[in-house]
Amino acid sequence: MTALVDALGDTLRQWLPAQRWFAAKDSVVERVSAVRAHVLRDADPILVHTVVAVDLGAETQHYQLLLGLRPSLPEHLAHASIGCHEGMAVYDAAHDAEMLSLLLGLIASDSLVGELRFAAEPGVRLDPDLRPRPVLAEQSNTSVVYGQQYILKLFRRVSPGDNPDVSLHRALHSVDSEHIATPLGSVRAPLLGVDTDLVFLQEFLPAAADGWPMATASVRDLLAGTGGDAARVGGDFAAESFRLGQTVAALHADLRTALGETVTESGHAAELAATMHRRLDHALARAPELGRYEADIRAVYDRVAGAPGPMRVQRIHADLHLGQALRTPARWVVIDFEGEPAASRQDRETPCSPLRDVAGMLRSFDYAANHLLVGCAPAGGLHEQARLWTERNRTAFCDGYADLAEDPRADSALLDAFELDKAVYEVAYERTHRPTWVGIPLAAVDRLLGTQP
Amino acid sequence: MGTDAHPRRARSVAPEPEWFKSAVFYEVLVRAFSDSDGDGTGDLRGLADKLDYLAWLGVDCLWLPPFYDSPLRDGGYDISDFRRVLPEFGTVEDFVYLLDQAHSRGMRVITDLVLNHTSDAHRWFQESRRDPTGPYGDFYVWADTDEGYSDARIIFVDTETSNWTFDPVRGQFYWHRFFSHQPDLNYENPAVTEAMIDVLRFWLDLGIDGFRLDAVPYLFEQEGTNCENLKPTHDFLRTCRKVVDDEYPGTVLLAEANQWPADVVEYFGDKTVGGDECHMAFHFPLMPRIFMAVRRESRFPISEILAQTPAIPDGCQWGIFLRNHDELTLEMVTDDERDYMYAEYATDPRMKANIGIRRRLAPLLDNDRDQQELFTAMLLSLPGSPVLYYGDEIGMGDNIWLGDRDAVRTPMQWSPDRNAGFSRCDPARLYLPTIADPVYGYQGVNIESQMGNTSSLLHWTRRMLQVRTRHTAFGLGEFIELGASNPTILAYLRRHRREDGTEDLVMCVNNLSRFPQPVELDLSEFAGHTPVELTGCVQFPPIGELPYLLTLPGHGFYWFQLAEIERGDGS
Repeated sequence: MTALVDALGDTLRQWLPAQRWFAAKDSVVERVSAVRAHVLRDADPILVHTVVAVDLGAETQHYQLLLGLRPSLPEHLAHASIGCHEGMAVYDAAHDAEMLSLLLGLIASDSLVGELRFAAEPGVRLDPDLRPRPVLAEQSNTSVVYGQQYILKLFRRVSPGDNPDVSLHRALHSVDSEHIATPLGSVRAPLLGVDTDLVFLQEFLPAAADGWPMATASVRDLLAGTGGDAARVGGDFAAESFRLGQTVAALHADLRTALGETVTESGHAAELAATMHRRLDHALARAPELGRYEADIRAVYDRVAGAPGPMRVQRIHADLHLGQALRTPARWVVIDFEGEPAASRQDRETPCSPLRDVAGMLRSFDYAANHLLVGCAPAGGLHEQARLWTERNRTAFCDGYADLAEDPRADSALLDAFELDKAVYEVAYERTHRPTWVGIPLAAVDRLLGTQP
Repeated sequence: MGTDAHPRRARSVAPEPEWFKSAVFYEVLVRAFSDSDGDGTGDLRGLADKLDYLAWLGVDCLWLPPFYDSPLRDGGYDISDFRRVLPEFGTVEDFVYLLDQAHSRGMRVITDLVLNHTSDAHRWFQESRRDPTGPYGDFYVWADTDEGYSDARIIFVDTETSNWTFDPVRGQFYWHRFFSHQPDLNYENPAVTEAMIDVLRFWLDLGIDGFRLDAVPYLFEQEGTNCENLKPTHDFLRTCRKVVDDEYPGTVLLAEANQWPADVVEYFGDKTVGGDECHMAFHFPLMPRIFMAVRRESRFPISEILAQTPAIPDGCQWGIFLRNHDELTLEMVTDDERDYMYAEYATDPRMKANIGIRRRLAPLLDNDRDQQELFTAMLLSLPGSPVLYYGDEIGMGDNIWLGDRDAVRTPMQWSPDRNAGFSRCDPARLYLPTIADPVYGYQGVNIESQMGNTSSLLHWTRRMLQVRTRHTAFGLGEFIELGASNPTILAYLRRHRREDGTEDLVMCVNNLSRFPQPVELDLSEFAGHTPVELTGCVQFPPIGELPYLLTLPGHGFYWFQLAEIERGDGS
C-alpha cells in the first residue's frame, strides 16, 4: 500500500501545507513518501492508514494521515478532497463518520493490523456504536467526539516514541488524579524502529467549557461596566481563578506522586538560564523591538543562573494556559499534556520547576484581560481596568495554588524569569502571526522589567 | 347564594394522580391579596373573589402560608389553634368556600402546616406548663437544665441566644429551634403524633389538596447529634404519608427542608417504592445560584448544583422558586458566595435579613424586563414544579424600610385606585402601606393596567404558562444538560417519553450574559429534527450533523420543540 501513498506524493505535497496542523508552513516541501501504510478497510470506501515522511530539505517531519478512497465523493465530503488515484477520489477520512466509526471499533476490539496496535486501556470497555463527530475547530491535531462520551485525538505530526500527552495522562490516572479526563485507549506502531503513540482516546466532558471564554466573559463584564473595583463587579472571576490555582497545585502533586521529583545539582539553574538566553537570541532575530530590552532581560536570566542552591524539578504540563483548563460542573480539569508544540520532544520531557506552569497561566490571565483592547487607544481607563482584572486574578490563582502547595510567589526571581521567558516567546510569535497583538506581551515585558513603555 | 355554597366539605376537583408534577404553584398571602370586608387586611373571601384572575393567569395550585389562629409573632407560623382560622381572615366555613370555588375552576389549594412547634399561646402549651402531670404535661420538650442537645445550631441568630428558654410557671426549661415563643412539640410522645395526625385529617376532610410541611428536619431530638434529619423524623413522615395515601389519595405533602439536595432527597423516602415520605420538597440551593450565574455570566453555578442533585424517586418532584415570603435564603451557599450575593444584590444593609436578602424579584434585577423574563423562563423550564410569588407576575416592588420580612409582603396591586384596589378602607388602616414609590408604585404597576396591555410582563407570564402546559416534558421530562463551548450559555433538553412510545422533546437555551452571544450545540443525535420555537411556532433550520449555531440577544432565551416534521415551502 505504500505504493498508493508514494503515487500520491505530488498531490500530498500540494495538499499538506494547506492544512492547519501542518507545522512547516514557511518551508518548501520537497518530497512526500510513505513510511508505512495499512489498509484498515478493503471495500468501498477504502480506508488507508499511513505515516508519511515529509522532506523539507533541512529536516524531515512525519505526519499521520487517514486516506479514504471512493469511486466518487459525496457532497458532504467534498471539503475533505485530496485528489485522485486511478479513477478513485482520495480524501481525508478524518472527516468521514463511517471511517471514524471503524477506527473506534478497532480500538474497542483491541485489534492488530500489521504493526498497528489498537487497544483500549486496561479494564475499559468501549461502546463501538457511538456516533462520531469530527471537531471542526482544527488545532495542531485532529479530534473526533464519539456520542458525547469519548474524544479521540489523531496526532498529526508524530515523532518517534511516547507522546507525553498519553504517558502523562496514564501516569496521572494511575494515581487517581481527579483533574484529568480519563484515558480510554490508544493506537501505537513502531516509527523508525521506536514504539510511537499515534492516536489517543479519552473521556469526553460534555458539559465543560474552557477557561478562556470564561475569563474573557468576566473581562467583558468589567470593561463594559461603569468602572470601579474589579472585586465589586458581578462578573468577578477570582473565585474560579482560586479554584484553578488549587487544581494546578493538585495536579503538580499528582505528577510528583506518579513520576517523582528531583532535587537538582546547583548547575541546573545555569543550564535553565542558558536555555532562556538561547530562546531570547531566537526571539531577537524575529522581533527587533525586543532589542532595547535585551540587556535588562539578560540580567534577569543571569540572576537565575547565579541563584544559590539546588532546584526542585519534576514533570509538568509545559504548555499551561486558560485554554487548556476545562471547567466541568464538578471541577476544573486540565487537558492536552503534549507540551509546547514548537518544542522538541526532549525539551518537553525534561523535568522542570512547576513554576513554569504557574508562569504560563499568569501570562494567560494577562492575555484574557488585554486581548479585547487590541486596537484601542491606550487612553481612557480601560487599560487600567484590564490591569486591575489581571492583578486580581493572578493573585487569586497564586492564593489558590498556595492553598495546597508552596506559594509560587516565594521564589519571585524564578517566577518572574519564567514569565519573562514566556512573554519574550510571545512577542516573537505575535510578530510573525498576529502583529496587532504584539503590544500585549511587550507591555508584560515592560511590567516585569519595571521599565516604562 | 344558597346554603349549598357553604358545604362542610368542598366539592372535589377532577382526580389526576401526580398532578403536582406538572402544576404551576402560586404562593399567595391571604393577608396581602384582597380585602373583602374593608378592615385593611386581606381575607379568605377576598382571595376567593380573585380566583378568576388566577385561573386566567394559568395557576394550577395555590399555596397559602398559615391562616390559622395565631398571636402573629412569626407571621402566623406561631399557631395557637390548629382548627380555627385567624378571625381577621374569616372562618373555617370561608376556607371551605374558597376551596370549593378553587376546585370548581380546576385549581387546587395547599397550605402550610407547622408540625415542629406551636405558639406558646396554644392551649396545649398553657396546660403543659401549668400541669406537668396532666394530659399535656409531656407535649413539649422540658428539662431541668439548658445543657441538652448542645450540638444543635441556633437558627434565628438575629434574635435567639439559646435553643432553651426557662419557663417560670413550670420551673423548667423548654426546647425551641426557632423563636422562644414557639416551643417544640415532643414527638417522642405518641399522644403528640396522634394529635398532629388528627390535625391533618381535620383539613383533609374539608377537601384540602395537601400541605407544605414547615421546618420538617427538626421534629425529633437526639443527644450527640445536630438534631436535624434524624431517623425517627423520617419514620413519622412515613406515617403521615400512609394516612394521606390510604385515606385521601391525590393529596400532596411538600417538605420544607432547607438542606443540601443530598440530604433533602431523604425526605422523599424509599426510592424502590417510588417514595414513601413527602411527594415534593423545595430545592433551596438552586435559587441563589440562578442569581449568581446570571450575575457572573457563567452557567456553572447552576450546572454545578444540578449535577450535585441526586435522582429522586419516580413518584416525586422538586419545588423550585425564585422568591417567596421569606428572605432570599442564603443558608445553602458558601460564606464566599454569601458575601458575593450581598455585594451584588443587597447594596443597602437594610436589604439583609437573617442570612438572606429581603427583596422582591423585580428590584433584585434592577427592574430589568429582559432579566425578569430570563429568570422566569428558567424557573418554568428547570426540573421541578415552579412556585410563583404573588405580585412578581407584574414586577411588583418592595419596601425595605418595613420591619423583618414585611418588605416583600405588601398589598397586591390591582389597580391605580385607592389602596391599589386591595381594600376600600382608610389608607391609614392598611396592615402594611402599599408600594408608592415612583418606579414600582401601584399607580403604574398594577394588574388592571397590565391586563390592558398585551405586551406587559403579566401577559408575557401568562403566555409562558400556557406554553408550559402544552408540553409534558417540562413537568415530567428528564433533564439533560447540553454542553456548549460558550460558558455564558446554559442549554438543556427536557425529554419525556410517553407511555405510547412517543416523545416530547424540548430544548431550552439561555443566555446568562447581558451581551449578545453565539453558541454551537452538538445536536447530531437529533439530525433531521427541526427546532420549532415554542412561543411563535417558528421553524428554525433543520438540525444536521454539524454543530447547530444559534445567536441570542443579551439575557435572551429560546424554548424549542425538537420535532420530526415535513417541511413545506408553500407550494
